[in-house]
Amino acid sequence: MKDQTLVKEICPTTTQSWVKKGALLVDVREADEIAELAFDVPNILHIPLGEFDTRYTEIPKDRDVVVVCQHGVRSLRAAGFLVNHGYNKAVNMKHGIVRWAQKGFPTKGDTTSVLENTQDSGCCGTHTPAKTSQHCCGSSPKKESNCC
Amino acid sequence: MKQIKVLGPGCPKCKTTYQNVMEAIKQSGIDAHVEKIEDIEEMMKYNVLSTPVLMIDDVIKVKGRVATISEIKEMLS
Repeated sequence: MKDQTLVKEICPTTTQSWVKKGALLVDVREADEIAELAFDVPNILHIPLGEFDTRYTEIPKDRDVVVVCQHGVRSLRAAGFLVNHGYNKAVNMKHGIVRWAQKGFPTKGDTTSVLENTQDSGCCGTHTPAKTSQHCCGSSPKKESNCC
Repeated sequence: MKQIKVLGPGCPKCKTTYQNVMEAIKQSGIDAHVEKIEDIEEMMKYNVLSTPVLMIDDVIKVKGRVATISEIKEMLS
């Protein structure tokens, strides 16, 4: 599958720096997922994906917005939806709260399941093989990077 | 001719939806062109949030779940 170009994507490390500068996180996971493990950041909005098409207007257009979810798949769709609706400051966080928690960034709740499970999950709850080579934010895979 | 699109990244639910569409067409005997859209960028053009999505003549009929053969046949009639 070729990479998409509609939505800008950033890694958890970059997201962390954006949050410190005042960016808003929009978490599109379901309530039970958030109850189990949540992002512990000052500015966050929870809009489940199933309600996104009716509630997206709650998101400010004039602010940096990072859309997040469990693995970065659902959030990518939501971020694309926002871009299509004029949100030019909306980006997707790759790899989701799983990578966020693995990096040791602030969370509330039980990180056990995400720290034990390092296998990527596709949509619809299916599992896909973990990628063997990864680089974040457009950096070359050959370069050493502290990102992600 | 009916234009049918099944949008989804290729997961089991998406494949089942596609199979159900093909079976519904076969059982109803109608003339239809079926397209499977799996490319993420192409899907985002349709503002798809939950997959699979079933579209008939550019109208979203079912989203976020597998459409059954019987309901697809009803939509096509």
